Amino acid sequence: MALLEVKGLGMRFGGLHANRDISFAVEQGELVGLIGPNGSGKSTLFNCIAGLYTPTSGSVFFLGKDVTGRKSYEMARLGLGRTFQVYVARGDLNVLENVMVGCFLKTSSPSKAKAQAEALLAQMNLTELARDRVANLPVAAQKRVVMASALATKPDLLLLDEVAAGLNLTEIDEMMNLIRWVHRDLKITVMLIEHVMELVMSLSHRVLVLESGKLIAEGDPASIVCKPEVIKAYLGERYVQEHGAEVLEAAACAPPGNGEN
Amino acid sequence: MEALRSAFDFSDFPRTDLCVAGTVAVFLLIFPLLPHSSFAMATMIQFLMFSVYGMGWNTIGGYGGQVDLGKAQYVGIGAYTSAVMMIRWDVPFWVSLPVGMALAVAWSFIIGYPLFRLTGHYFAIATIATSLILKDLFESWSFVGAARGLKIPIKGEMPNFLYLQFRQDAYYYYVILGFFFVGLFYLNWFRKSRIGYQLRCIKDNEEMARSLGIDSHWAKIKAYAVATAFVAAVGSFHACYNFNIEPEDTMSLDLSVLIALMAMLGGAGSLWGPIIGAAVLVPMKNYLGAFFGAKAGLVGLDLIIYASIIMVIAAFEPRGIWGLITRLRQGRGS
Repeated sequence: MALLEVKGLGMRFGGLHANRDISFAVEQGELVGLIGPNGSGKSTLFNCIAGLYTPTSGSVFFLGKDVTGRKSYEMARLGLGRTFQVYVARGDLNVLENVMVGCFLKTSSPSKAKAQAEALLAQMNLTELARDRVANLPVAAQKRVVMASALATKPDLLLLDEVAAGLNLTEIDEMMNLIRWVHRDLKITVMLIEHVMELVMSLSHRVLVLESGKLIAEGDPASIVCKPEVIKAYLGERYVQEHGAEVLEAAACAPPGNGEN
Repeated sequence: MEALRSAFDFSDFPRTDLCVAGTVAVFLLIFPLLPHSSFAMATMIQFLMFSVYGMGWNTIGGYGGQVDLGKAQYVGIGAYTSAVMMIRWDVPFWVSLPVGMALAVAWSFIIGYPLFRLTGHYFAIATIATSLILKDLFESWSFVGAARGLKIPIKGEMPNFLYLQFRQDAYYYYVILGFFFVGLFYLNWFRKSRIGYQLRCIKDNEEMARSLGIDSHWAKIKAYAVATAFVAAVGSFHACYNFNIEPEDTMSLDLSVLIALMAMLGGAGSLWGPIIGAAVLVPMKNYLGAFFGAKAGLVGLDLIIYASIIMVIAAFEPRGIWGLITRLRQGRGS
């Protein structure tokens, strides 16, 4: 049984088809990347899976259950954690309190939640920031905190929406180690949206490619960059017609990490 | 057990706060023994009443960030329940108190369920509307005395602890002081409890809160019910203290705004905020009202002052006086 199964999912906003007829499955223990140009419907797909939107067609199965149209808090209770591309903190919660809120999903005791949150922050090297307000942190730290809160709910599947956006090279490296740790040591299945190809290509077992709301390719990271439809999606049709051979050659020759950018 | 310990645990506040709080607590306990005018006593009782109103408002309005401008309807439900039960069926205050709270909470669920589909200004406006509708209903409902209201008759000998009828205000003072401390300890538990953190997370970012498994709609309704219970309890007390209630003084928009204003002025979302707000505004309201209203005939002046305060808070420090204190401290610390 797949952990997550999406069948013929479509999402329409008025006349705009943000997702159309998307089907794929994620197995327990996988680390799946989701890429595609801006506006290709990646975040919409995440939001449909995580219950922020109700898909206009198709269905979502999580742990074998049909969860189409479940609300986001219900999905969290079923074991789905997620981060947001843009996170705005309006209130005054500090880092520790933010992570405690995640812990409160599984316990109602404040002292237990605090102990769990402190342990998690220590594991993620965030102890020093525990008393800082989330809104005052630099981007890299903020992304880690949001991830820590999601992890505090002890999810089976973690959806990461552009956790490396806006980070510098060192920070991307740290983020990669963090995702590896989540996947390998916490044994959490991960699905991530990312534009930083280095991260997607070196972490993912499998990559899904979206373009204009459609799933146009699926495969392991090395082979995906050679697919003409993927290159076309990123570089445009005319470019491929003119430079198709060179691009393919370059992609095939280069090690997986440098396929893009 | 953990909850009880948490309610009495103030250890996360700096020592200066606790010293000030302790001094204030002692002052409140011995105030009736000090020489005072009856006007000062009435002001102190009002201060305590508005502190408890503000504490209630703080759960949903402060920690939850949902600006509620309709609390007076629950004051009314509490006050009318106690008055009606006392007048018609001779029921003691201590029985009608929980009944009034329960009725108010039930009404808050009915109101809260659709209202919390709204957010921000729309929510605030809708709370005003429901409160005014209820006031209109009470004004034309003869069972509760319509617009003339109700007058509670004297029940036998005073002091009467069962019906809360006293000749000396000091008795009322200690009753409401009891409410005040119960409210304070409850709120001290609340802010560190699961629901307290969940509400603060909702205020922070509702979408994020929901992704962490919080049913934000239900959490708000629960906090609204807690706020309502506080307010209704003081409403019941208000009926006994005044002997005389009418829709205009228990359910008016003025009262709703004052409740929210005191909490916001003191500091919404902090434990001491509503108390500070009430300590500033109640004496100001009473003494300025007496001074200007009687001597100069400037009846609307207090309203002008409230409006100015709202503007100043909104423009300079949304976290109120407590926010100002916090900012000064942080400035000195760094």
